[in-house]
Amino acid sequence: MSLAAEAFVSQIAAAEPWPENATLYQPLKEDQILLSDSASSLAVQTFLRMCGLPVLVSCRANAEYMSPSGKVPFIHVGNQVVSELGPIVQFTKAKGHSLSDGLDDVQRAEMKAYMELVNNMLLTAELYIQWCDDHTATEISRPRYSSPYSWPLNHILAYQKQWEVRRKMNAIGWSGKSLEQVYEDVSQCCQALSQRLGTQPYFFSKQPTELDALVFGHLFTILTTQLTNDELAEKVKSYTNLLSFCHRIEQTYFKEHERESQSGSSRHSKGSLP
Amino acid sequence: MGTVHARSLDPLPMQGPELGVQADDMDLGEPEHEEKQEVLENKDVVVQHVHIDGLGRTKEDILTYEIADVFRAKNLIDVMKKSHEARQRLLRLGIFRHVEVVIDTAEGADALPNGLDVKFEVKELRRMTGSYNTMVGNNEGSMVLGLKLPNVFGRAEKLTFQFSYGTKETSYGLSFFKPQPGHFERNFSINLYKVTGQFPWSSLRETDRGVSTEFSFPIWRTNHTLKWEGVWRELGCLARTASIAVREESGHSLKSSLSHTMVIDTRNSTILPRKGALLKINQELAGYTGGDVSFLKEDFEIQLNKTLFWDSVLSTSLWGGMLLPLGHKPSCIADRFYLGGPTSVRGFSMYSIGPQSEGDYLGGEAYWAGGLHLYTPLPFRPGRGGFGDLFRTHFFLNAGNLCNLNYGEGPRAHLSKLAECIRWSYGAGIVLRLGNIARLELNYCIPMGVQSGDRICDGVQFGAGIRFL
Repeated sequence: MSLAAEAFVSQIAAAEPWPENATLYQPLKEDQILLSDSASSLAVQTFLRMCGLPVLVSCRANAEYMSPSGKVPFIHVGNQVVSELGPIVQFTKAKGHSLSDGLDDVQRAEMKAYMELVNNMLLTAELYIQWCDDHTATEISRPRYSSPYSWPLNHILAYQKQWEVRRKMNAIGWSGKSLEQVYEDVSQCCQALSQRLGTQPYFFSKQPTELDALVFGHLFTILTTQLTNDELAEKVKSYTNLLSFCHRIEQTYFKEHERESQSGSSRHSKGSLP
Repeated sequence: MGTVHARSLDPLPMQGPELGVQADDMDLGEPEHEEKQEVLENKDVVVQHVHIDGLGRTKEDILTYEIADVFRAKNLIDVMKKSHEARQRLLRLGIFRHVEVVIDTAEGADALPNGLDVKFEVKELRRMTGSYNTMVGNNEGSMVLGLKLPNVFGRAEKLTFQFSYGTKETSYGLSFFKPQPGHFERNFSINLYKVTGQFPWSSLRETDRGVSTEFSFPIWRTNHTLKWEGVWRELGCLARTASIAVREESGHSLKSSLSHTMVIDTRNSTILPRKGALLKINQELAGYTGGDVSFLKEDFEIQLNKTLFWDSVLSTSLWGGMLLPLGHKPSCIADRFYLGGPTSVRGFSMYSIGPQSEGDYLGGEAYWAGGLHLYTPLPFRPGRGGFGDLFRTHFFLNAGNLCNLNYGEGPRAHLSKLAECIRWSYGAGIVLRLGNIARLELNYCIPMGVQSGDRICDGVQFGAGIRFL
């Protein structure tokens, strides 16, 4: 869309209040969704809860293809469709809900930097482990990704996705890395986050921001998802303040009956935090 | 018709002096002519040899079926008629550029006095023909490459390949056709294809990659086709503003279906027929040979034509169809029927009748459409005998309806649903016939019975296509 059209659309969007039937679409939770998508989806859900905006979660087998950008999750609000956390934050800001209003410019720049760190390190590491590690790809990723489809389409789509992710890893220079190096990178990223968090309840003292939502989404999913081995979860667990950070957010925003549906009894997810 | 050369028979010595003509007879021409006529009709002949000259890669065994009848001819007229028929049969195999027939007296050691040799001089088509076109239209340019290999293995098999490379989409098709030797109407073909289509009326983009095999055979006067098709369908939204109902259909699905078609066609032409009728019934069952989609689809097409006074033709047609999803999933937008446009109910925009959501037309599970046309030659008949014969004026009345069915109700409820809120239109226009395949129309339409949600195109509407209501 051209800049003028985008500005016009966001003006229109800003005029309408947040509807009751806003929906978030993600792949099927039980059988299909993978670690990286689950983390992104949880981050968006956490953000919307922090803003106090109601959203219904709808699981569809074709959520990835429904999304306008090809990435999940995406939300359908009114007659607008927005995907991924960055654009969703901007969209809610246009509607008048924002978590980072209280920050000054320096803090906002810092927040953006840390969000980029999470996206470039944690998310890429998750994708690497899922699709470039042969063992995980064969045991978990390909079967889960292709579960809604029948033969031979399931194999075609799974391999297509795997090649696409591997090409992307090539492009950003991660294909030369070994699994050990990737775990090291995750560890370093967690160390940086842990240092920034320190003993505060949230990254920017008292109030949660979208950075908190993003970090929670990824760390919580890593801790509660069963992969072929537990190394990734162990790396995160070694930072106790991050662990208590996740507990805190889970308690604050996902208590009551939502907790059962969130960390439900699926084979992939291990349920609540250990 | 081709040329048939026949040298005259030498007069048989057995007949006696009546055949003899006196050299100094004044009326030399006429009596001779009459006698020659007599000779041709009454003479019994035996066809001793039939040759086919000019064969290269064609195998002879398939040709013997086509020319076998010539041996049964009893007199010269019969020989000429049967040779002509054999020539037509050889041409319809699609492997010869032209066929010429030469009928001559038998020669050689075993030649009978009344024996004949029939020789077919054929020229085979080239092993490979190619074509290259560029096409521009609808904000897209594309380059189309076509390759045709007739008579690949010598028994009238045909292999065609078409590849289209465009600025937006790429598509290709590979097809192999093989008739049964001796029975050309019984044939099978295998197709491999990828086609892409954009449907702005539904804000939908569809890419189909598929393989299909089909068998055709005639039974009595009907033509039947059995087909299995496996298609990998990919649907996507054309624009960001597509409605959520269409967005929900995006993604991949696999359809594996068996279908059967029966056709009875007694029309004298496919485009602008003057007489005859067409009945076409098609069934498709998907889901029982694999795949994600499961349904039973029926549709039929009837057309009747009759020539009236003053060279005008009255034509009526009726189309209908029904889609019954089997299993629990609802029907897919790519399987449903669509109605409206210059090739179906005129006066409405392309496929813009029926259930819709935010301006995107979703199609329906049951429909019917009918048309009544009166075709007349152009007024005052300009260009008669030449270009003007390609044009016709027509007056039409079209009607139709499209809806989704709730299968919990009975068939009576379905019929009443299809009978209420009928869309119809009437008008007049000019039709141009393009070869024997397509036609162009320019009509002035007045749509009626428009329901809320339908998009109309009243006034002048242009249409081009192969199949019109």
